[in-house]
Amino acid sequence: MSKLGSVVEAVDKYNKFVEDEVRRARTDKKFGQQMVNRWNEIKAKIPFGSAPTGLKLPRLALPEIDEAGDIARYLLGDGLPGEFPFLNGAYREMYLEPLQNPAIEIGAYEKNGHNGKSQNNGSKNGAKNSAKAQQAEEPTRLFSGLMLAEDTNERFHFLGAHQRSKRLSTAFDGPTLYGIDSDAPGILGKIGEGGVAVDTVEDMVRLYDGFDLGSPDFSASMTISGPAPIIMAMYIAAAKRRFGNDIVPKLRGTIQADIFKEVQAQNETIFPVEASLRFLTDMMEFTTREMPRWYPVSISGYHIGEAGSTPVQQAAYTLSNGFAYAEMMAARGIPVDEFGPRLSFFLDCGLDVEYIALTRVSRRIWAIGMRDAFGAGHKAQMFKVHTQTSGRSLVAAEFKNNLTRTAAELMLSYMNGTNSCHSNSADEPFTTPSEEWIRLAAHGQAILLDESGIFKHTMNMLSGSPGMKAVERAVEAAILEEFRQIEELGGVVAAIEHRYQRSQIQNAAHRYEQQIYDGTRPIIALNKYRNANEEPPEMELARTPKAKKQLQVDRLKQFKKKNAAKAEKVLEKLAAVAESDKNCFPTLLEAAEVCSLGQISACLQEVVGRFRPMV
Amino acid sequence: MASPIRVLTAVPICDGHDSAINTINLEFIRHGVEVVYLGYHRYAEDIVRAAIQEDVRAVGISSYNGGHVEFFAEVVKQLRKRGADDIAVFGGGGGTITHDDQRVMQKRGVDKIFFAGTSLTDMVGFVHERYGKAHKHNGRNGAPADMKLARKLTAIEDGYADGTKKQRNSKAAIRSQRSKIRNTKVIGFTGPGGAGKTTLIDELVLRLLQRDAKSRIAILSHDPSVVGAGALLGDRATMINSQHDRVFMRSMATRGQAGGLSPATADCLQLLAQSGFDYVIIETVGTGQEAMPFQSKLVDQTVLVMNPDYGARLQLQKIVMLDLADIIVVNKSDQDRARTAMSEIGRRVEQNGREQRVLATVAKRHRDGGVDQLCDLLTPLVRPMAKTSKKGQPK
Repeated sequence: MSKLGSVVEAVDKYNKFVEDEVRRARTDKKFGQQMVNRWNEIKAKIPFGSAPTGLKLPRLALPEIDEAGDIARYLLGDGLPGEFPFLNGAYREMYLEPLQNPAIEIGAYEKNGHNGKSQNNGSKNGAKNSAKAQQAEEPTRLFSGLMLAEDTNERFHFLGAHQRSKRLSTAFDGPTLYGIDSDAPGILGKIGEGGVAVDTVEDMVRLYDGFDLGSPDFSASMTISGPAPIIMAMYIAAAKRRFGNDIVPKLRGTIQADIFKEVQAQNETIFPVEASLRFLTDMMEFTTREMPRWYPVSISGYHIGEAGSTPVQQAAYTLSNGFAYAEMMAARGIPVDEFGPRLSFFLDCGLDVEYIALTRVSRRIWAIGMRDAFGAGHKAQMFKVHTQTSGRSLVAAEFKNNLTRTAAELMLSYMNGTNSCHSNSADEPFTTPSEEWIRLAAHGQAILLDESGIFKHTMNMLSGSPGMKAVERAVEAAILEEFRQIEELGGVVAAIEHRYQRSQIQNAAHRYEQQIYDGTRPIIALNKYRNANEEPPEMELARTPKAKKQLQVDRLKQFKKKNAAKAEKVLEKLAAVAESDKNCFPTLLEAAEVCSLGQISACLQEVVGRFRPMV
Repeated sequence: MASPIRVLTAVPICDGHDSAINTINLEFIRHGVEVVYLGYHRYAEDIVRAAIQEDVRAVGISSYNGGHVEFFAEVVKQLRKRGADDIAVFGGGGGTITHDDQRVMQKRGVDKIFFAGTSLTDMVGFVHERYGKAHKHNGRNGAPADMKLARKLTAIEDGYADGTKKQRNSKAAIRSQRSKIRNTKVIGFTGPGGAGKTTLIDELVLRLLQRDAKSRIAILSHDPSVVGAGALLGDRATMINSQHDRVFMRSMATRGQAGGLSPATADCLQLLAQSGFDYVIIETVGTGQEAMPFQSKLVDQTVLVMNPDYGARLQLQKIVMLDLADIIVVNKSDQDRARTAMSEIGRRVEQNGREQRVLATVAKRHRDGGVDQLCDLLTPLVRPMAKTSKKGQPK
C-alpha cells in the first residue's frame, strides 16, 4: 500500500471516529454534558462587531444547535475555523475588519492566526504573513512577465509604486519554461512572449533590480516547474551578487516546481519524471534547511483544472500529488514538521457547483492525512492555498461578461476561505492581460472584500448550512474514490506511468467541449444568447519587438563567451554529481554563476536523459 | 473507397497547451480522418520533416503561447523550401491569434485560422471539404528523396484503399526481391499493447544513430483504425530520438485489417527495404495471443516485447509468438514481477529447442544496459565504428 492508501484509511477512520463520538455524546451523559459546556463557552466568548448600518453581528457564526451529538459532529467533523480538521478555515479569522477595540477581541478567545485580505499578486503563500495581522494586505496584483528582464522589472516598479509590501509574481516565457536558451535555433519568435526571458544570472539581477530581496516586506513568486531547481539556483546567485552570502536565509518567496502536475497536465517537463523528482527533492532539502522562509513547491491543481479536469479530479490529483511529495521528503529523512509547513497549494476556481466546497473539503482531507498518515503537528496539517479564478471559464465572445464570471468565482473562492487569491483579467482569452483589465480584476477583489459587507463582519457565513454540507459530503466521497483508483494502480507515480491522470483529464476535457457544442453546458454569448453580429474587439496586445529578441540573444552570447572556461569546468563537475547519488543543488548554485539555463539543462539531460512526452 | 484524409497535428515549440488539440484529434478521428499527432513542444523543422515523410494533406497547428505569426510562417516557408508547397497549413489558438494576426499569417501562406468559438463540427467539415481531394502532383522534379519515397508509399496505400491493389500471397516474389538487398536489415517488433514497444524502438534508434554516424533508418509504425475509419497515429509524439534527419518514419493505420498490420504493409515494407536504409524497423499495433503477424520472409529478425505483468504462467503456453520470435524482450523489468517473468519465459522458450534470446530491459531508463544488449544482438555486422559509440556509457 502506498501512502495514499493510508490516507484513505485515515479519512475513513476519522469519519467513523466522528460518528462514534456523536453516539457517545448521546449515550454517555458525562461526555455529552462536556460537549454542551464547551459549546456554550465558545459561544459566550464570541465578540460582536457592527456593520456600517449599525447592525450588530457575531464575528463567528455557528449553527443553531444545542444537542450534544450535533455539537460533537460539528466540532470534530468540521472543526472551528483554525482548528482540526480545518474544514471551515486554516485560521480563526480571515478577511474580517479589525475590531475598533482590539483588546476585547484578543481576550475573547484564543487567537491562533489571522490572515490578511486578498493578495492579488499570484503569490501562493499568503498565510505566512499572519504576523502583520492588523495591516490589511493590498489587493493590487503585482503580476508580471513580459519581454526582457528590464521590461518586466519596469512593470514591477510601476505596479508596486504605491505598495508598502512588494509581492512579485513572475511569469517566464516559453523557452525559459522548457530550459532552452534564447540563442537556440528555431525559437526566436518565442522570446519574451507570454512571460519574461531569463537565460542567465545577469537576467535574474536585472529582473529584480531595485527591490530589497531580503526585506520582510518583499517576496518573489516564480511560476516555473521543469527547470525550477536551476532557476532557483539563479535567483539565489543573483541575490548573493547583490547582497552578499548572508542574504540566503532571509529570502522569501515561492517557486512552483510542481513536476507531478506538469506530467499530468501542463507538459512543461524537461527531464524524465524520476530525475525531475530527484532534482526537486535536492532543491527542497536545501531550501528547507537553509531558507526557512521559502516555499519550495506550490502543489498546483490550477493547471489540472485548466487542462479540463472535473473539479473533483483537480482536488483529488492535487492532494494525492501533495501526499506524494510529503512521502518523498519523509524518505529523505526530513521531519514532517520541518517540511510540512513549507508545502503550499494552488487551486483553480470555476463555476461548477463543486467549487462551493472544493477547497473546504481539500483542507479537511489534507489535515487528516497529514496528521494520521504522516504524524504531522498543527502547522504541517494546515492546507494553505492560493486560488486563481478559472481562465478556462472565460470566453472571447462578448468578453466583458468575463468580469461577471470572475466575480462569481471570486465569491466562491472566499467562501472557501482561500488564503490568497488572484482574479483573472477579462481580456485573458486574447492576450497577456493589459493594464486596464488588470486594474478592473484587482478592483473586483476590493469590491468584494472592502466595499461589500459579505466577508467583513462574520466568519463562517455558510458553514453547516444544508446545501454546503450536501456538496461537502458528495465532493469528499468522490475525491476518496479517485484516491482509491490511484492506489489501485500502485500510487501516484505508478498511475502517472499508466497515463491514468492524463487520460482522465483528457476525457473530462472532451466531454466539457462536447457539452458546450451540444448546448447542455450553456456558455452565455457563446452557445446561448449569442450575438451573431459581434465585431472582434480592439485589443492592446503585449508583443515583443524583434530588436528586443535580438538583444537577448546578443547578451546571452556575450555571457557565454565571457564565462566559457569556467562554465566548462563547473559543468563537468555538475555532470559527475548528477551521475552520483549526491545532492545536486550545491553544485547547481555554482553552475548558476557562470552558466546559462540552457547549458545547465543540456548538461543534466546528457546524464539523465530527456523527458519523453506522454500523449 | 478513397483513402482517408491524412493530416498532421502538433503544438509549437515551447508550448505545452495540448488540451484543445487532444479534443480536436479525437473529433477528427471519429469522423474518418487519420491524424498523425506529433505532440507538443515541437520545432518547425520536426513538423515539416514529419509532414513530408507522412505525406499528409495538411498540417494543423494549435498555438497558445504566443509567437504564432513567426512560427506558422516558418512552417510554411520550410515546406516550400523542401518542395512540399502542396501541404497546407491551418490552425488556431483560441483568442490568442487576433484577426490582424490572421491577415498577416494568411499573407505568408497559412491556409486557415480558426478563431475561438468555432465548433468542432465546423473544423471537421472544413478538413473534409478543403483537404478531401488528393494532392495535385506527386513529387515534382528535384523533390527530395524523402518526399518521393513518401508519395510512393501513399500510392501503395491508396491502391489498397480503392481496390486496384489486392493483397498478394506470393512469398516467392518477396524472396526474389529480398535477395537483391544485401545491406538492409529488417527488424520486426510486436507484442501486447502497453509493453513499451514504441519507447524501446526509439531508444534503439538513438543507439543505432550514435553507433554509426552515417546509418539511415526507416520506421514503419502501425496504429489501429477506429470505428468511423479514422485513426490516431500517435507514436511520433513519444519518439523523441526518432525526429532526426537520418530517420524516415511512416505511420500507418490498420484500415480494418486484423493482426496488427495494414493491407498495404507488405508492399510498403518491401519498398522501404529497397530504398537504401541500413535498418528498417516495423512495429505492429498492440497484439493479442495470435500467431506472428509478420510473414516469415518479410523480416530478418523478430522481437517480441512483453510486459512482466502477463498474468498466470499458463497464459505463456498460449502465446504463439513466443515460439516464433528470435528475441524476446521483457521490458519494464524494474517491476516487481520481472524476475519471475524472466525465469518463466526462459523455461517456456527452452522447450522450443531453437536459438532464442530472452532479454530484460527498462526502455524508459536513460542509457539502459538491456537496450544496449538488444542493440548488440541486432547489429552483429558492425561497420566501422563512429567515435561516439560507447564513450560515456555507465557501467
